[in-house]
Amino acid sequence: MEFQDLMSQVQQQAEDAILAAQDLDTLEELRVKYLGRNGILRQQYKQIGSLPEEDRPLAGQALNKASNSLKKLFEGRKSALSEQAEQHKLQAEAIDVTLPGRTPQVGHQHPLLATLDEMIEIFLGLGFVVAEGPEVEDYYHSFEALNYPEYHPAMDEQDTFYVSDDVLLRSQTSTVQIRTMAKQKPPVRIIAPGRCYRRDTVDATHCHTFYQLEGLLVDEDITFADLKGTLEIFAHSMYGERCHVRFRPDFFPFTEPSAEIALTCTLCGGEGCRICSDSGYLEVGGSGQVDPNVLAGVGYDTEKYTGYAFGVGVERFAMLRHGIDDIRLFYSGDMRFLEQF
Amino acid sequence: MRVPYSWLMEYLKADLEPQELAQVLTMGGLEVEEIIDFRSEDGEFADTVLVTSVTSNRGDLLSMTGTARHAAALLGAEWKMPEIDMGLLGDPVSGQTEAANDQMRIELANPKACPRYSGLVMDELTVAESPDWLAYRLEAAGMRPLANLVDCTNYVMLELGQPLHGFDYNLLQDGHIIVRSATEGEQMLTLDQQWRTLGEQDLLIADAAGPAAIAGIMGGADTEMTWDTTKVLLESAHFDATTIRKTSLRIGLSSEANYRFERIVDPQGTLRALARVAGLLLETCGGTIVGEAVDVCAPDLTPLRVPLRVEKCNKILGTQIPAQQMQAHLTALGFEVEADGPDKFQVTVPGFRPDVEREIDLVEEVAIVHGYENIPSTVPGKLTQSGQLTRNQKLERRARQALRAAGLNETISYSMISRRDLDRMGYPQDAPERNMLPLASPVSEEETHMRTTLLPSLLEAAEHNQRQRVSSVRLYEIANVFYPRGQDELPEERLHAASLIMGPYWSSTWNLPEDTQSPDFYIIKGIVEQLIAALGVEGVSYQAAEHPSLHPGQCAAVILDDKQIGVIGELSREVQAEYDLEEPAYLFELELEPLMQQASQYAEYEHLPRYPAALRDIAVVLDDTPENTAGALGQVVMEAGGEYLSEVAVFDVFEDAEKLGEGKKQLAFNLTFRTPEGTLTDEQVDDLVAAIVSHLRKKLGAELRS
Ligand SMILES: [Zn+2]
Repeated sequence: MEFQDLMSQVQQQAEDAILAAQDLDTLEELRVKYLGRNGILRQQYKQIGSLPEEDRPLAGQALNKASNSLKKLFEGRKSALSEQAEQHKLQAEAIDVTLPGRTPQVGHQHPLLATLDEMIEIFLGLGFVVAEGPEVEDYYHSFEALNYPEYHPAMDEQDTFYVSDDVLLRSQTSTVQIRTMAKQKPPVRIIAPGRCYRRDTVDATHCHTFYQLEGLLVDEDITFADLKGTLEIFAHSMYGERCHVRFRPDFFPFTEPSAEIALTCTLCGGEGCRICSDSGYLEVGGSGQVDPNVLAGVGYDTEKYTGYAFGVGVERFAMLRHGIDDIRLFYSGDMRFLEQF
Repeated sequence: MRVPYSWLMEYLKADLEPQELAQVLTMGGLEVEEIIDFRSEDGEFADTVLVTSVTSNRGDLLSMTGTARHAAALLGAEWKMPEIDMGLLGDPVSGQTEAANDQMRIELANPKACPRYSGLVMDELTVAESPDWLAYRLEAAGMRPLANLVDCTNYVMLELGQPLHGFDYNLLQDGHIIVRSATEGEQMLTLDQQWRTLGEQDLLIADAAGPAAIAGIMGGADTEMTWDTTKVLLESAHFDATTIRKTSLRIGLSSEANYRFERIVDPQGTLRALARVAGLLLETCGGTIVGEAVDVCAPDLTPLRVPLRVEKCNKILGTQIPAQQMQAHLTALGFEVEADGPDKFQVTVPGFRPDVEREIDLVEEVAIVHGYENIPSTVPGKLTQSGQLTRNQKLERRARQALRAAGLNETISYSMISRRDLDRMGYPQDAPERNMLPLASPVSEEETHMRTTLLPSLLEAAEHNQRQRVSSVRLYEIANVFYPRGQDELPEERLHAASLIMGPYWSSTWNLPEDTQSPDFYIIKGIVEQLIAALGVEGVSYQAAEHPSLHPGQCAAVILDDKQIGVIGELSREVQAEYDLEEPAYLFELELEPLMQQASQYAEYEHLPRYPAALRDIAVVLDDTPENTAGALGQVVMEAGGEYLSEVAVFDVFEDAEKLGEGKKQLAFNLTFRTPEGTLTDEQVDDLVAAIVSHLRKKLGAELRS
């Protein structure tokens, strides 16, 4: 057989095999077989020497051509098969994206404390500093210094937990007013957040433990109008401009004049509903101008200084904000509750 | 107080619906809590009843006429008293401590507790059921009608606010009334058929034979008016509020009368009420008045005069109310106002307003009639400081944040626990935690003492969550605990942080190896380390320790400056069983104050290294003794490594008797060497490692494992 014929036969065989190869390993085997160091084409080169002199150039050309053409075919086939292999691999790596993710656990803030923090932020913005006082208090700071007459029906409303005649659990954060003023000359501009206690039987709307935020501002020329303005800013920051603050006369021994603070009911927007007993308002705390007896008791000049004080319950705000209907949940430690906020 | 609308409108000249009136009263300091559509039991009478909530300083609003007066002032309307014929009292016989006529002698033995006592005798009365109009009014006002005699006294109390009492004259000895303190241990049978033991602080109405009534609270059974009574001695007196309150609290007896006396009744109104009830009795029971009234009155009941400066009033309120308007407001409330110069008033306080004693009290009265809603809203000026949290408050927030970042949920629990909680947790009798502050009158058996540790509350939460089939519990609380000091001294309040984890720590654990799903000691310890790092505190160490509630082999003390500030560990099997917990629980409790003291407010920047570090791993085998802890080993390595060794990190702990020999363990760790001066050469690092290995051999007998 002529060399060229043989060549084209080999080339044809090789081409068929390459195109038939279905994976990279087979292809590599073919490459070694035909184009390798000891491959068929290399063998053919060796044959050229045994051809007649005049036939050698043509045979050489044919051989080179076949070699180049096969190399090209190999490369083409290789990249096609690589592509295919990559596809297979990716397919094999496909996962069920609907399985749940592995979320890093991040703990949740207690809704009561989150609400309290937000309330604190508002007053920080108004220049109030945060003061603290003990939860277990003495009679003096709880009542005497706050102008509570010893045998007065106002004491009934306190319903205090006593440890002894003189030691008790504070029933309001107002005690911090006295502790702060005793240490500091005016101006005094503080808020006092904290835990308070009252001898209430626990049910869905009552609890013997609660959080309160107290505010106190004493300086020259502090007016009742300033009290209204401050609490309106607070209410608007919490619930928006449409929230109206209602002040109406009330009685607290340590303020005069005294005012109950009520906000537009967030559930009905002031229309009246079951929650607000159809009044359109929800009571959130008490306030007033600090009674001169209180100021005199801590040694302030009552002609020179006036001030206002207010105290609001935190539970109410948290309940309204999140639609919580049972106060006991706050103290339950129930994960199902805590993880919702 | 229940105020029937039609009764009130008898005195108030105004044309408005009950709802409108309720709104005005509420905004004027007399809150109307409820509006009731009342229908009498027999169905014959209907009215609207306003239920008012009277603040404890306003005894004057505990009557129909007082309510009418206040409403009139708020509305700018007219009101009137009922027509009362004072002539019925004749020309009253008066005296300062005693007085008498031929029917009765009244003697005030304790004028401080009873400064005024007015009496009147009536005879030939016919006791019967009250006329309908009177019975309906009482019923609407919430008092059950009994018989005309007693109903009339109640009616006048509701109308005028003056409690009245009637004695069956024939059961009193010689019509002789002595108002005196009880003797210690003196006994009497009250109307409710209860024997009461009294003492020197209690005030009695007595006759020569003994007690006839506990003054201002309840009458005695011996002198009670009955269906057979024909002759009565009517009492209209003024008692000291504190005296009445003390007795009422002490004997636990409360009545409509003492409720009013505690809130102070108008001392000027005794005779008026007496005349009013006499008139009503004549109308409903027939009979006659015997002689004139007797009125014993201590001399110091002169009305108070209080100055009011117009400018001061406006300055306190932040208003510009003109002087005449202030005068009108106060006059409407029943004060007598006289000008004292152009910008000042002298205000005479009526007897029914004993709560008004000072200028500031008058300012409040002006504000109430003016209307709080008509006072402007302003922003207080003169900002002299910026709003700030204290350093500790900022650190507490940082601690809370760090614990949440570790996957724990914030919880709040009650500050009160009981001894039983500490029993359940296995605290021995002499544990310092047992010295708790007891409450004098707890609300429940579970909450009797102020807690000294937060752990019982967390265990209770774990118990609760397990009952709710919650598998993963991850909680922390930051709150005060209370350690008693001396008697009558305030306790020490310590801020603690505590946590409990139980059940899977990761949110989703499918396909994760079993042992990575559950928490272990090192997870809770890691949380503590993270918390301490967040506070920027250095030098905290951990030592094996014991705690009554924790696993003896898995419990560490947290040490700062040679002082234990907390504990970490696995809940002991006993306590786990006591709380019936299916999974092991891991807890820590830390005192925050010592950490806060050393906390750094801001992290200090350390220059980034300019030269690369050299990393080496070594593994050593050593005896598995309690002393040869990873901590001890790390310390020896750090000593030997000197300044070039910047980090030591354990990466493997391995125990295998076959491979290592009995009682041996292998610890492997990464060493990181670096120096700010340059890159360390291999030879330098080799030398350092060799020094470490030889030091380990010398100090701990540890052998290098290749
Ligand atoms: Zn509503």
